[in-house]
Amino acid sequence: MQVLVVGLIAGSIYALIALGIALVYKATRVLNFAQAEIGTGTLYFTWWLCTRHHLPWIVGALASIAAATAIGLVFEALVIRKMMTAPRVTVTVATIGLFSFVLALELAFFAGTIYLVPPPIHPGGVRIGGVFVSWSQWLALGVVGLVALGLAAFLRYTDFGLAVQASADDPVAAQLMGTPRARISAFTWGMAGALSALAVLLIEPTVGVLSPGAFNGLFIGGLTAALVGGLNSLPGAFIGGLAVGVVEAEVKAHLSFNVIPSSNVTAMLVIVLGVLLLRPQGLLGATAGRRA
Amino acid sequence: MSAALLEVRGLRAGFGAQTILHGVDLDVPEGKVVGIFGLNGAGKSVLLKVIAGVVPAWSGSVCLAGEDVTRTSPERRVQRGMAHVPQGRQVFGSLTVEQNLRVGAYALRRRDKSRYDERLAQVYETFPKLAERRRQPAVTLSGGEQAMLAVGRALIGDPKIVLIDEPSAGLAPSVVEDLLGVLLAVRSLGLTMLLVEQNIRFGLRLSDSACLLQRGRVVYSGDTASLDQERLGTYLGVGRLLADDLTKGLGAKSTQPRRASRRKAATVSST
Amino acid sequence: MTMAEDAGVVVASRERTEKRRTRFWTDRQANVLVAALLFVALPLLTEHAMPKLLEQHHYFNLDVGVAMAVAAISLNLLLGYTGQISLGHAGLLAAGAFASGIMTSRWHASMVFGLLFAMVVGAAVAFVLGLPALRLSGLYLGIVTVIFGLAMQSSILRSSLLSGGSAGVPMFRRVWGSTMTTDNAVFLVVSLLLLLGVWLVDVNVVNTRLGRAFRTIRENEAVAAAFGIPVTRYKLLAFTISGAMAGLAGAMYGHTIGFVNNEKPFDSTMSLMLVIIVMVAGAGRRLAVVFAALLFWLFPSFIEGLHQWSYVLGAFLLMATVRTHPDGIADMLHHMRRPPRADADAADGEEELPALPQLPAPVRALESVVSLTDTPLLDVRGMSVRFGGLTAVDDVSLSVPAGSVVGLIGPNGAGKSTLFNAISGLVRTESGQISLRGKEIQDLRCDQRASLGIARSFQHVGLARDLSVRENFLLAQHQLAPYSDIEALLMLPRAARAEAEFRERADQAIAALGFEEMAHMPVRNLSGGQQRIVEIACLLVTAPELVLLDEPSAGMAPAAAENLAARLRDLRDALGRTVLLIEHNVPLVLDTCDYVYVLDAGRLIAEGAPAEIAANRSVIDAYFGAAV
Repeated sequence: MQVLVVGLIAGSIYALIALGIALVYKATRVLNFAQAEIGTGTLYFTWWLCTRHHLPWIVGALASIAAATAIGLVFEALVIRKMMTAPRVTVTVATIGLFSFVLALELAFFAGTIYLVPPPIHPGGVRIGGVFVSWSQWLALGVVGLVALGLAAFLRYTDFGLAVQASADDPVAAQLMGTPRARISAFTWGMAGALSALAVLLIEPTVGVLSPGAFNGLFIGGLTAALVGGLNSLPGAFIGGLAVGVVEAEVKAHLSFNVIPSSNVTAMLVIVLGVLLLRPQGLLGATAGRRA
Repeated sequence: MSAALLEVRGLRAGFGAQTILHGVDLDVPEGKVVGIFGLNGAGKSVLLKVIAGVVPAWSGSVCLAGEDVTRTSPERRVQRGMAHVPQGRQVFGSLTVEQNLRVGAYALRRRDKSRYDERLAQVYETFPKLAERRRQPAVTLSGGEQAMLAVGRALIGDPKIVLIDEPSAGLAPSVVEDLLGVLLAVRSLGLTMLLVEQNIRFGLRLSDSACLLQRGRVVYSGDTASLDQERLGTYLGVGRLLADDLTKGLGAKSTQPRRASRRKAATVSST
Repeated sequence: MTMAEDAGVVVASRERTEKRRTRFWTDRQANVLVAALLFVALPLLTEHAMPKLLEQHHYFNLDVGVAMAVAAISLNLLLGYTGQISLGHAGLLAAGAFASGIMTSRWHASMVFGLLFAMVVGAAVAFVLGLPALRLSGLYLGIVTVIFGLAMQSSILRSSLLSGGSAGVPMFRRVWGSTMTTDNAVFLVVSLLLLLGVWLVDVNVVNTRLGRAFRTIRENEAVAAAFGIPVTRYKLLAFTISGAMAGLAGAMYGHTIGFVNNEKPFDSTMSLMLVIIVMVAGAGRRLAVVFAALLFWLFPSFIEGLHQWSYVLGAFLLMATVRTHPDGIADMLHHMRRPPRADADAADGEEELPALPQLPAPVRALESVVSLTDTPLLDVRGMSVRFGGLTAVDDVSLSVPAGSVVGLIGPNGAGKSTLFNAISGLVRTESGQISLRGKEIQDLRCDQRASLGIARSFQHVGLARDLSVRENFLLAQHQLAPYSDIEALLMLPRAARAEAEFRERADQAIAALGFEEMAHMPVRNLSGGQQRIVEIACLLVTAPELVLLDEPSAGMAPAAAENLAARLRDLRDALGRTVLLIEHNVPLVLDTCDYVYVLDAGRLIAEGAPAEIAANRSVIDAYFGAAV
């Protein structure tokens, strides 16, 4: 039971990364390999504000989200927008460039030392029915729920949100209906940045340390979740996240450390290979109704 | 008013090293329906895309209601009163019928939200089928219903001119007939339309004037009634096939469709 | 060999001397020489035979650089030629290093076996990863490999089965028994020889059907399929070869540093670094990539503290190159030297097309004409093709007599292309029979039908536009290649002979067209009409009896189309071929064909001599749309 809850909480954070990947993929057919690294880079901002300037966690967190959004927007404006007609694989390589760039900057400035970010709220937690859930886990659950619902509502009920969905269905037709293609693209990448920062902020208390590439596991989890969910389906990404979190927790709990350390990462590889073999469109992919 | 609503002058465009349009001139006067005809690869669809702003013009100009829009984005042209029924209809499959219409009204809603409800009611009145299915995802509609949705989505923004790309392509004959009724009704509203069509009979019955395109050049432009039959056949690459057959089609056009349109017009409240 | 592309019009004379040189110094001789060198030189290498030019640690750095050059060639083969991304190449290197390490330290075997084992393991791992991923689009290999790389680093390599905890594996340079070589200079010579070997294998890949298939897949999978290339199989082959090279590179690196574990030196940043090197230097350009790899790994090792910043710079350059010049710096420099020719727009369509090449007529055709004059060359009886509920071709019968040009017309969506697909074997027929020279072929595979003498063109697909004219002629002979992949990699006699034959036939065709000046130009620089004629000539290079042409005049100016009609008559009159032609351009069909079939909504609605067709009422309906 404890394992299941831990899995669900980790999974909900994977779902945030998966949502970012699915949003970008749905809108642009590009796989954003920098989805977790953007937030990792800006987490140093939180560390700097909170430990050097002793500002409250929430200020550092908001600064990190703002910075990550800015990275998304700048990347969109300087790189993505110039590659509107480029092959999608080439654009995907550009996101590998962004991934490497953020990682390289982290390595250049922060390599070798482990940084600690203060916890978002007081340590401790509450025990419900024999299952211990810490306050930061509660926070993660709450924030992920709010964000997922908020994003869903935004996409469904606002004009701009509908335009984003229409553009994902068919960018040219959406443009012919008068929706602003450039702003939709900017929104997508800005949102991807914000989701990245949020996911990293929420998983940091679980990982405990901040070092370059420390959240690679988060990216792998999110990527697997997005693939399980179907890459272009937002509900799929969410469900995929939870599923991957639970499977990961179960594997971790049942495989001895010595045979395969960090067996959860290997489990992800097996899941991905399995999904590609058996159901490459994922759980909810392609059912979302796209007429080719 | 001498200037046409849409004026295209000396338009050249293409992809890479390949020139597709070699200097096209085209006028669409207000309240008229102009049909662009030609063979596969003549450049019809590219011409429409350049006018829409999706494909850049190499040189030449596109003027909408006296304003040069050659260098503006597609969405800006929509704000200026252009609307589109894209090739293959391209309804947004994952959105519902009503959401599709809302996206079609994106520019209108930003300008004047209150007019949206009124326009929506008008579209539903014109296409009662759409009202029935307003909550269904568009992907579940039949081909004919999707065609209606695509037309409704173009009309809802109260456009000055509607660009229609191959409306009859890929539809069953009975649906084509329904669609013709719908478009004739829309035409009777006095709406300006620019139409690209492969099905010549279909296209000629809708248009007031024709523009024949061959290999990226305009080879005939003028009234459909005075269209030289022999030449039409030659330029469309069907040679001597035509004979008297098409004349019949044209003769019928001047009388019968008008009546049909008046009948249908009853269901379309005029604007 | 890649420099062959450089030879354009201007340097035609230099090119000719080059050609003479390559004839003397054939690919195969180079391969044999290297094999001999490896055999003779290796036993002679001892520490005492090495001149002490540099300090040991300089040799050490050079050893690492050479290993990474091999790794770069490996990724270049995958990313540069085939266009598939691997983000976990470090994982493949690590697999190779661990394999060789276990071989030399735990099993006390010679490093020779270690290196071989490394290649086998690298290839095997790549095969397993690629099998599910490569059936899908290029993106999925990226996903699988990025996860694989991290799983290797944080999990698999730490397994007690492999390394005994995170202790890692020592990498002995065991020559034999307990004899080891510790001298870095000796190992540099070994490394250089291995680099040379890998280089030559890569050259062999480029010069055989493998490389042509890879590069066509990168450009357009549909074109590759049209040339008869099994796309998934070749993508998997590319990744497997790449994996073997990566395994070797990893083992070379490991034997240089003497010890590997899960993080050192093969961490995920190395994978990214390799992608940066290949993309920034120029994907598909072997020399540039090797140079960049050496530069990237050698330069920082001489200047302290540069390493991190070179990575920052590299990542920045990757974004910049991909955005502005996705073909990389080498390509940019190449274009600065010789700007790509802008096509003369005015000439488009007005130009005169050259006559089709007078290639040797098929031997089979003659005998069939003599012996079976009254049997049609192609006979289709009652053929139907269904997709789900849709009947695309409905009970169609037609026959094409030998030595005639037969036309197939009909409006869009009438099922003309589907009929072609059924005849050439790309789609299964539901019922009916197809016979070629009286022999039923409906149960044969596409390539088997091709070998019986059916060639077809594809609407809008055409040629591999990034490849040169000559390479397209070579590509057209893909299905004739009698050699296996291994023979191609090592350029064994059969492969070398076949390739020489292909080149001869390609050069014949080019000479017959009078296109010698354009032979080494990428096809995209040719005008539309020239491309079309090369496309048709490509069909002829395999000496088919029956040529199926799908809309050859599409996108041609009227004058060019008229010219094309004359060339099509040449096919029949001068070359003795039989043609079945799909066309939208009805005047062209009426002018060219001996007999015409009209298809509408999957059914034959008319057939007859051109004059009869022109007067047929139902044909008019089909074209103008039924009365509404």
